[in-house]
Amino acid sequence: MPQGDFHPVAFAIVAAWVLVCGIGVVAFRSIVRSAVSMVFCFLGVAAVYALLHAPLLAVIQVLLYVGAISVVILFAIMLTESQKGEYRLFFNTQSLFALPLAVATALLATVVLVSAKLNGVTTVAQNPSIGEIAHLLFNQYVFPFELVSLVLLAAMIGAIVLSRKEDRL
Amino acid sequence: MSAVDWYLALAVGLFSIGAFGVLARRNVILVIMSLELMLNAVNIALVAFSNFIPAAAGRGELFVLFVVTIAAAEVTVGLAIVIANYRTHRTIQADRFDEMKG
Repeated sequence: MPQGDFHPVAFAIVAAWVLVCGIGVVAFRSIVRSAVSMVFCFLGVAAVYALLHAPLLAVIQVLLYVGAISVVILFAIMLTESQKGEYRLFFNTQSLFALPLAVATALLATVVLVSAKLNGVTTVAQNPSIGEIAHLLFNQYVFPFELVSLVLLAAMIGAIVLSRKEDRL
Repeated sequence: MSAVDWYLALAVGLFSIGAFGVLARRNVILVIMSLELMLNAVNIALVAFSNFIPAAAGRGELFVLFVVTIAAAEVTVGLAIVIANYRTHRTIQADRFDEMKG
């Protein structure tokens, strides 16, 4: 039964999808399988955005994460994949501590979340239309917008400098 | 639990999975992938706040736009470092990067 703008069945399906694919990323032995699982996880996150009335972000998620970032990661895997024998040792020596730590993080965050009293929470969707987001972005937040383009430029130059051969510098 | 709590619970779950991946896996590329999972979890939380708290309406979405952009930059530079390191050391296993170990 929908409660406000929350659809429990749709949410349950999408959440299970995201979490199962997320576990696949960290649990698969072969890194290519992990990468494919990650792509499906990103698609699930796009569905979460759609459920949250954020169609712009759903589209950007598919374009940027499912399209661009996944391809970059697959290229990196292709360029570096080696040492097939080491798949046997795919967890490092800290993994004994990592699992309790991750579970403890989840429990702590859940306890905080359940005990917190958030002010002004509604069950009615509040996300504005794309036009209003554009209005916010190009008026109030235009400075961070320009700054982020500088960060992208720096990352581009950095990636080129880092990945070309030393002797051609 | 209200609607926002369910979405936050999903974000917490995904974040913990990503944190486990960052801490436990040896492959550096997989560590970067787990990092992306953690960023996505935070984005889910931001959009949930944006959608269910009137005072944050729209601003959460804007933050996610910025986070996604920075994440793209971070992946590019991170993978460039991994590949540069692979050229010199022929390995992408995190526990082999031990040159500065005293």
